[in-house]
Order: sequence, then structure tokens, then C-alpha cells
Amino acid sequence: MRRLVARYAALFAALAVLALAFPLLLRQVSLRGDIADFLPAPKTEESAFLLEELRSGAATTLLIAGIEGGEARDLARVSRAMAARLEASGLFALVANGAPRIDDGEAALLIAHRYALSPAATPEAFTEAALRRSLEAVLDGLRGSAAPLVRRYGFADPTGAFLALVRGWAADARVAMEHGVWMAEGPRALLLAQSRAGGLDTEAQARTAEAFRAAFAASDPPPGARLLLSGPGIFAAEAAATVRADVRLVSMLSSVLVAAFLIWRYRSPLMLAVVAVPLSAGTLAALAVVDAAFGHVHGAALGFGMTMLGVVDDYPILLITGRAPGETLREAARRIWPTLRLATAAAVAGLVPMLASGFPGLAQLGLFAATGLVGAALTTRYLLPALLPAEGLPVRPLPERLAHVLLRLPARRGVVLAALAVVAVALALGGGPRMERDLAALSPVPEAVRDLDEVLRRQVGAPDVRVVLTLRAPDAEAALQAAERAAEALAPLVASGAIAGLDHPARFLPSAATQRARLAALPEAATLAERIEAARQGLPFRANAFAPFLEGIEAARTQAPLTPADLRAAPLLAARLAPLLRQEEGGVRAILLPTDIRDMAALRAAASRVPGLLPVEIKAETEAILAEATGAALRWAAVGGVLVLVLLGAGRGLAGGLRIAVALGGALMLTFAMLAALGERISVFHLTAALLLAGVGMDYALFLGNTRASARSGEASTEEAARALGSVITCMVTTLLTFGLLALCRTPVLHATGLTVTVGVAAAFLLACALAPGRGAPR
Amino acid sequence: MRWRWLKVGGSELPPNPPSFFGTKEGRGFGGGSPPPTFLRRTLLILPLAAQAPDPLPEVMAALAAVRESRAAFTEERELPELDRPLISRGVLTWRAPDRMEKHTLEPVEERFLADGDTLVLEQPARGIRETMALDAVPEVRPVVEAIRATLAGDLATLREHHEVVFSGTFARWRMVLTPRSLRVRAAVQRVTLEGEGGAILVVETQMRDGRTRMAITPLR
Repeated sequence: MRRLVARYAALFAALAVLALAFPLLLRQVSLRGDIADFLPAPKTEESAFLLEELRSGAATTLLIAGIEGGEARDLARVSRAMAARLEASGLFALVANGAPRIDDGEAALLIAHRYALSPAATPEAFTEAALRRSLEAVLDGLRGSAAPLVRRYGFADPTGAFLALVRGWAADARVAMEHGVWMAEGPRALLLAQSRAGGLDTEAQARTAEAFRAAFAASDPPPGARLLLSGPGIFAAEAAATVRADVRLVSMLSSVLVAAFLIWRYRSPLMLAVVAVPLSAGTLAALAVVDAAFGHVHGAALGFGMTMLGVVDDYPILLITGRAPGETLREAARRIWPTLRLATAAAVAGLVPMLASGFPGLAQLGLFAATGLVGAALTTRYLLPALLPAEGLPVRPLPERLAHVLLRLPARRGVVLAALAVVAVALALGGGPRMERDLAALSPVPEAVRDLDEVLRRQVGAPDVRVVLTLRAPDAEAALQAAERAAEALAPLVASGAIAGLDHPARFLPSAATQRARLAALPEAATLAERIEAARQGLPFRANAFAPFLEGIEAARTQAPLTPADLRAAPLLAARLAPLLRQEEGGVRAILLPTDIRDMAALRAAASRVPGLLPVEIKAETEAILAEATGAALRWAAVGGVLVLVLLGAGRGLAGGLRIAVALGGALMLTFAMLAALGERISVFHLTAALLLAGVGMDYALFLGNTRASARSGEASTEEAARALGSVITCMVTTLLTFGLLALCRTPVLHATGLTVTVGVAAAFLLACALAPGRGAPR
Repeated sequence: MRWRWLKVGGSELPPNPPSFFGTKEGRGFGGGSPPPTFLRRTLLILPLAAQAPDPLPEVMAALAAVRESRAAFTEERELPELDRPLISRGVLTWRAPDRMEKHTLEPVEERFLADGDTLVLEQPARGIRETMALDAVPEVRPVVEAIRATLAGDLATLREHHEVVFSGTFARWRMVLTPRSLRVRAAVQRVTLEGEGGAILVVETQMRDGRTRMAITPLR
């Protein structure tokens, strides 16, 4: 044991240094998780809007909770206790579980501005007849049980401007109330919250979810009660957890399998350490370079980049296994270097277009993979031979029969090429592989969670937003005025039933112009006093009973309009306005939401008549963005492919290059044909995996095709071919064991990666064998 | 002064009014119930009364003994903004342990129901029907319990929400409730209940400025 340690001291020391470097580097590197980095730069205003919405839209911060599994009154109690706790936590801009509760400060502000804000403050409300009706209503109210409320507001606001204002806000909540809170059938109490943290801030979203669970647990829920939680933030956390759990299970299983295989093949667990050195060195280099170049590393670039770096596992295997008898490891490294160099250069060439693609995410991914590949190749060439004893590691020979069969494959080349041609024709006739167009299908969120979200959304009455109307203006006032004009232009649609309603920012905060107009339309003080006096006749009100009303109107007249900047004291109004009016770079965007669209054509026609109003059909636009992203990735991959071909042609001559290209292209084609046959829709995950596949496929073809380049006597050539075959088989088995199990996962990203690599690596290997330069049958 | 309120609609109440919330069995839990019932109940309570001179537990026990009752009410509301009181009439219904309904019939129909933890407010003329949890309106609860917990003879609940000052005798008592919550006291300073034996006859609520007085007449 001690001898073993002494012998491999250098290797262990290097591993220890690399292992220590990781946490140090990760502390320096800032990781980011903005998925929009991976979406193309918006080409149209519609897509720009949608991308911004995905990135920071209010919808991304909405959480919906359901509490079920108890009696309605217990659930209501829990709902109230939770709402109070969540509000106190300070994590949420808005918590709602029933009718809106307005705090005293906000109520005072709204009352002060009631005649400017309320839709009920029209001149018609102040005629003598209308005032008489208002006064009678106040009297009726004073007789009833709600008298304290009526007294509180009735004498200052007999026309009900303030109550109409608040009631107007509640009108869009279509949830039934029971025991004072929202209650859906079941019974299921419903809570809504808007987190202060952004929807894409996964960590903060995990904290908000935790706040919900803690509030539930602390609210003394009845036995059997359950908390259901949904929302984009929950999705992100849930997805991360699912992926992490899947990855943990699969990586444990595959580590065991890979380790078992390597131990069998090299008669020692040391090969694991050997493989780890170039991989860690490459990853470290990639992290450092990407962080230096971009100032941060994108989480997805790291994830996908690591997938693509899976190919560098092959480098040390090729070195150790490819060592000829009697050769030192250093000599072997020198001998395989030209091939390894070409493989790496070609792979980097394939990644270069990603750097130039213009998507920050894709560029990072390209840089990450390219740096990692170069780092790992250099480590294999220069560091590994220095770390290991000259004779490397012992290698167990492969079973003879297997090698025999595989080495004879080139003799069947014609059949293989014919089969490839048939598959190509079949694939072309079948219309090619189908592309994934539904963004939801790419979501790593488990389906059950998505279903729950749909149910909760429906129950809470959140509109199913299919179409969003949006407009931009230089400032908030202009945006609000434009929204008012647009709402007026679309009003006939509501009347005709083409849409059920229209939500817009000016509904909550009218423009300053509208506020001023409303105030200007208020009757003169003397006139109003006369009318009140007349309306009072025959009613038991004292002469000065409505003095607060007259004073309120006078005070309102001198008040400056309420603007979005004044809403700090009005959190409820601010929370209602925020999703509909948004500060953007160089302007303000207003959002108008039509509900229950029954006549899309009428809506489109009406919208087109409003200058500056842009209708965005969410689903179609999302699909267009996705198609654009996939299309761009494919175009850049094609450019990369051409570069690879040029490089291979330069390194191996026209025939050699073509042979490798056919092996590589054939493998990719077989893979996509197989995926199509399995009914898979091709997504960006398949395409990323295909890049890895292209990398390993090229290595196989290069190393198996290398023997002719160094052709010596037939005997030596065959021996070398067998050794190369052994190396490549080991590479393939390791890759299969690493990625194959991912195909069994249900998370789309893992499943797609696993399946593509599994199918592709097998195809690439068989094609590389078949297309290797012919030696005829070995003796 | 007190009796002024019992003069309702120009007709004076009978000198010995029947129980305010008459039960189905014809037993009021109010004082002034017909002699046989009164005697029977007094006999039941006598041993307790002998031990404790404080009539409050006696009154509470008498109130608790009434499981169901119905009564007519007349409510007068005096407000500083009005030059004369507002008068409304209706029917009160009680069913143990915790269902109390105030059904105003005129001049504007309204139903106010406190059933367990649920409050229902209905104003048919305006198409209003609201259900609330009593927990959700903490400032309303003490006002509801002032009458409901008294009807239930539940002194513990009553004391949870109010300071209770009892005066008088079993036959003719008066209870002044002061809300414990400062918030509630800002709106409602005092609720005074008057009754005879197991019957509530008057509920007077003193508010910040203004007050209501409800006179209660049992129905059979």
C-alpha cells in the first residue's frame, strides 16, 4: 500500500491541488442563472416584449397556494394566519387571501384622492337628484348593521367614490368567499402572493417557498391539512430539485458502473484518478477563462459545458490504452499527440461559430467547451506522463472474438454505406426529425406540478393570458394616457362580447390629465352646498351633517394628481399597478390584458386601429422565439461543421477527411433517425448532446483511422489497430455508462442528453470501425 | 328614563312582560316568565343562590337554560348627524349554543346572522350577501359576543372580550360591558344590557358619538 502511494504520489498530489482549486475558483466566479441569455437577441418588438416578460415580468413572481384537507373554517383560519405571517416576513410585495385589506395609511391616501381616482366621480353623480339618492342610501346604510362603516365614510363621501374605487379593484377576483377568505371547492383555501425577489432568482424563490411552508407549519394546521404551492419561482426551485435528485441518483449509479469497468479494464482503481486529472484541469481552465471573458459564468453554460467536456474522459484512456509494449508513457503521448491535437483542434473549430453567434449564453458555452477541451488535451499530453510511472497502467486485453469481429467490419463497408443511404432517404421522406415547438415540453418541471398550477390558476381566477396588448411611451403619464385611449378604443369589444373585459393600468391609476379633468368637472362649492341642502329636505340629516363632504371636495380641488412615484404609501394600489405599468430602458411600458377572448379577429382589428398598440399572442410568439433560437443554433453548427471538415481535410488529406466526415455525419444522421423512430421531438437539449456526440465521434474515427498514417509492417499495423480499437471501445463504454443512464430520467434535459449520446455513441463507434482504412481481414 | 325605551310604537309593554326570548316549551329564559315556569326555575337555582349571594351566576345559569327563543325588537339609533332617531323593527332569534339572528323587517330588510364563527350579512334590496369569518373581523366580535355570549350564559367568553360590571338582583339586573380591546373601544365604548331573570330586555350600545338602544319583546 505504501509503495503504491509512493509510486503515484505525484498523481495524488496533482489531484489534491485540483480538488482544492475548485472551491477557491468557484468563490471567485459569479454564477448566473438568467435563462434569457440563451434566447436569441429579439428581432421584433413582440419578441423583445416577451423576452423582457420572461426575464422580469410580474407573472414570474406570482405564487399561488392552496390549503386543503380540513374543514372550511379551519382552512380559513390557517389562511388568515398564514397571510399575516407572510405579510410580516417582508418577502412579499403583496399577499392576498380574500377581499383586499387596505391599511389606514393607504386608505387615507386613497380617500384624499378619491375624486381624482374613482370612476364614480362623474358630474352626473353630483346633480341634485343623484345626491338625493346618495343621501337616502346613506340613511339606509345607517339603519343597518354596517352602520359604523357607513358613518365612517358616508358623511364625507356620500356619493361613494372611495367605496366604488375599492370595489372596482375587487371586481376582477372571481373566487368565492367563505369564512372571509377565498375558498374553492374541496374545500381549498387559496392564497396569492407576489414575491419581491425576481422570478428567475432561484435561490430567493426557494426562500419564498420556504417562507410559505414555515408559515403553514406555524399556523397550527388541522391534522391532515396540506399546503399546495405553485408559481414560476416554485417551478424553478422544484425543477432544480428534480434535476439535482435525478443527477445525483444517475451519477452515483454511473460512477459505480464506470469505476467497475475501469477497474476491470486496468486492474486498478487508479484509472479513475487518471481520468479525473484532465477533466478537472479542463473544467478549471474553462471556468476561469469564461469568467474572465464575460465577468460571470452562466449556470446553463456550466451544465451543458460539463456535458460537452465528457469527451475529454477519452483523452487519458486513449493515452494509457494506446501505449505500445515497450514504449514509455511519454513516448506514447508524443506519438498520439498529432491525432489528439487534430481531434481537439477540429472540436474547437466546431465550437468557434458559437463564440460568434451573438447569443451570450451560446458564446459562453462555446468558450467553455473549447477552453476545457484544450486544457484537457494539454494536460493529457504534458502533465499526465509526468505524473505517472513510465509504464503507465496495466491494461487487460479485450476478448479476442469481439476484436476480431470489429476489425473485420471494414470489409462490410459497402453494406454499411448502403444502409446509411437507405436511412438518409427514409429520414428525408419522413420529413426529417420533428422539432419541439412547445416550450412547456422543455420545462424540467414535473408534469404533476404543472397540472396543479393550472388547477390553482383556474381556481384563483388568474386570467389565462393568451394575448397581451402593450404600448410604450416616454414616461408614465404618457403611457397612462395612451392606455386610457386604447381602453376607450377597445370598449366596444367589451360591449359586443368579443372580450369579457380589459385590464389596464389607468383602471387603477388614471393619468394625471384624467385626474385633473375629473377634479375640474366637480361642481362649485356654493352650487354643491345648495344641492346638498335641497337633497337633504325631508331627511333627518342635520344641516351640517355633510360638511365633511363639502370640505373634502374643496380639498380635492387643490390636490396635485397622484402619480406612480407617490404610491409608496399605497402598497395595494402599487401592487395592482406594477404588472400593468413597467419602467423600461428609455421609457415606460403599459400592458393591457383582455380577458376571455371570444373574437380574436375583432380584437386584432380593433387593436390595429390604435396607434402604437401592439398585440402579442403569447404562444405563437414563444414558439417563434424558440424556432429562431433552434434555427440559429443549427446554422452556427453547420458553419462549425464546415470548419471541422476543412481542418480534417488539411490534417488527413481529402480522402481521410471525407472518411471521418462520413463516419461523423453518418453517426449524427443515424442518431436523429433513431430519435425520430422513437417518437422524440428534437429540442435544444438533443442538439447540445449532438455536439458532444460529434466530438467523441470524431475522436473515434480519427483514432481508429490513424493506423494507416503510421503504417508499418502488416503485423505491427494489425497490433496497433487492435490497440486503438481497445482504447476506443473503452472510451465508448465509459461514455455509454456515463450518459446512458440519463436516458432513463424523465426530466427532459437529462433524458434528451442521455438518449442522444447513447444512440449516437454506439452509431459513431460502429461507423468508425466500418469506415476505418481497410486492412482486409487480419491474420 | 329606562322605561321610556320600553314604550315602543306608542303602546306600553305589559307590566310583567313575558320572557324576551320565549322558548318552544313556553319557558322564557327571561325574567317575568309565567309563574309556574318561574317557580320551577327559581326552585332549581335556589340552593345555589343560598350559597352565593352574587346573582350573576344565577342570571347566567338562567340564560344558559334557554335553548331556543324568538323576540321582536325595536331599535332606535341616535347619531349626532341626525336630528331625530332612526327606528327599525324586526325579529331576533336565538338557538343554543351559538346561533343568533337579527332580522330587520322595516324600514329596510336586513338579516344579520352570527352562527358559530360565521357572520352573514344580507340586504336583499341591494342584493348584498356577505359571509365573513368572525375571526377575520376582530373589531366586530366583541360587539357580537356582548349579546350572544350573554344569551348563551357564557360568562367566560363575555369576560374574554369585556370588563363585566353586574348590578341589581336576579329579578331585575343590569350588566355594563366595556370592551377590553382599545381598538374596539375607539368605536364602541360600552354595551349595557338590562334584563329580568333569564331574559334580556334592553341592549344599549354607546358609540363614539351616537348610541343605539334595542328594546326586546319576546314572541311565542
